[in-house]
Amino acid sequence: MISVYYFGAISLILIGLYAVLVKKNLLKMLIGLSIMETGVNLLLVSVGYVAGRSAPILSEGIGPNQAVDPIPQALVLTAIVIGVATTAMALSVAMLLYEKYGTLNVEEIRRLRG
Amino acid sequence: MNGQYASLLIALPLIGAFFVPLIKGAGKKAVKYYLIAITAVQTGIAAWVFQQVYSTGKPIIVMAGAWRPPVGINLYIGHFAALFILIVAAVSFMMAVFSLRAIEVEPIDKYAMLFLLLMLGATGMIATGDIFNLFVFMEITAISAYALTAYNKTGEAAEASMKYIILGGIGSSFFLIGIALIYGSLGTLNMAQIAQLAGNMNATVAQVGLALVIFGLAVEAELFPLNAWAPDAYQAAPHPITAMFSAFVVKAGLYAMARLLYLMQAVESWGSVLKLLIIMATLTVFVAEFAALRQRNVKRMIAYSSIAQIGLIALAFALGTQSGVDAGVFHMVNHAIVKALLFLAVGHVAVTLGGAEMERFEGLGKRMPLTAFAITIGAIAAVGIPLFNVFWSKLRILLATLGAGYTWAAAVVLIASVVEAVYYFRLVHLMWFAGEGERISEGLAVSLILLFLAALVVVIGVYPDYAWSIAQKAGSDIFNVAQYIENVPLMGVGA
Repeated sequence: MISVYYFGAISLILIGLYAVLVKKNLLKMLIGLSIMETGVNLLLVSVGYVAGRSAPILSEGIGPNQAVDPIPQALVLTAIVIGVATTAMALSVAMLLYEKYGTLNVEEIRRLRG
Repeated sequence: MNGQYASLLIALPLIGAFFVPLIKGAGKKAVKYYLIAITAVQTGIAAWVFQQVYSTGKPIIVMAGAWRPPVGINLYIGHFAALFILIVAAVSFMMAVFSLRAIEVEPIDKYAMLFLLLMLGATGMIATGDIFNLFVFMEITAISAYALTAYNKTGEAAEASMKYIILGGIGSSFFLIGIALIYGSLGTLNMAQIAQLAGNMNATVAQVGLALVIFGLAVEAELFPLNAWAPDAYQAAPHPITAMFSAFVVKAGLYAMARLLYLMQAVESWGSVLKLLIIMATLTVFVAEFAALRQRNVKRMIAYSSIAQIGLIALAFALGTQSGVDAGVFHMVNHAIVKALLFLAVGHVAVTLGGAEMERFEGLGKRMPLTAFAITIGAIAAVGIPLFNVFWSKLRILLATLGAGYTWAAAVVLIASVVEAVYYFRLVHLMWFAGEGERISEGLAVSLILLFLAALVVVIGVYPDYAWSIAQKAGSDIFNVAQYIENVPLMGVGA
């Protein structure tokens, strides 16, 4: 069964991809990258989601059959941390670029060619 | 000794990177020698693992926390991984020695840390037996590679790094979507179990998932059209790092691609994914060889040549036959040696003479004869002249391509190789028959490494049989998936 979350996730990924490919401002491209990562994370979580079941925390009345799959949630936590690291790295490089070129427009930052 | 010591291969660079700030107190030189010491120990462990795996013929399987897979994460060090971990460690050691001379830009401690993390990431990608773990190691490699590309703090370096980050970000998102699709339909992340269950997978889902994974890894593996970052990053990164990119970071991506591809060979739509990869690989060879022809910067030229060779390896892996995989692995080994030699020598020239533009190489044969000799050996080998190592692997790849019935791919590769000869011989001509100059001292350590690598190129070229038998064992490690499943002690969960 296809859940509505898949559509949300895929549209987030596509919006992010659009921003990365089309926008001229470096910061907007990086925001697009973050949106894309969020979409991927949502997709991962929705893979393990089962309608009507609760969070995979051991408590009264909730056995293995009443909980959703915990593995995608653990994966998403890792993926979020990695995404934050990439974004931090990208922003610091963007700062360096602004220092050297005085602009964030990707069409003006084109010294390397061929 | 117990096989679990192999986990030191992952632990040592991590702990080593952690202690760099403490060593920094003892001075700049101390950090560089520390880097050499850690990589030397890593090479020792890798050599031990290599010896163990090849003498017993059994893979070393490290289970994290003694949990059996698929519950726990495992490292799988079979013939392929043992061979390439040794190459990763040995190349890192040589580049650590080269860093003594090549790296003068501050901060050295950050450089040493990222250097170790890059080595860790590549080792982990090769050794891991879990696809999500593969993703994590890929990101460790990628993030340290982004940072190292920008290390020189020039405008070009920042620009190259930014290109790499954006392409890498898109690639890792694609890879993660691919993992989500595979996990969603099989319910497991363990590679052996994926291979076991792959036959049950819906053909369309498998096709899309596998294609996304390949696209994601193609960024690391520099396949067309996702390799736009590579020449810029190669040109802008510090010289030892360039050699590491070409010698093993790319190889780790390629290996991961080949491994995942063959794990899923039970899938119905497998053939169409192979066709996609063959087209990508052939285009990579073609585009890169012609781009290399018009470069004025030697480092950038060799970077394009490196991309072309990677395309050749990907072509071999995409054939889907045993001989193709064996030839691909053989070419990976040869390419790692040759490109380490070339980038080391060119970087050495760039450090000594202050740049890697074509003009600086005029009369190099008179100014730095040993380095010029090393570049000549590397260039002749890279073109694929008989009696040098690349000849044998190129020949095997072409034979395997013809054997699999892809005559057009073989023809394209041959035409592109002719172009390769043109620009390499132009460089050799420039070094020996043009310009004048005084002799410059070349440095003992780097000269020794250059001689060692050049000797390796010639020895494998004259006696290819031993290296070929190693490559065949490593190739069957990738190709023989049934053996792979059998080797991993899976717990009977979910199957």
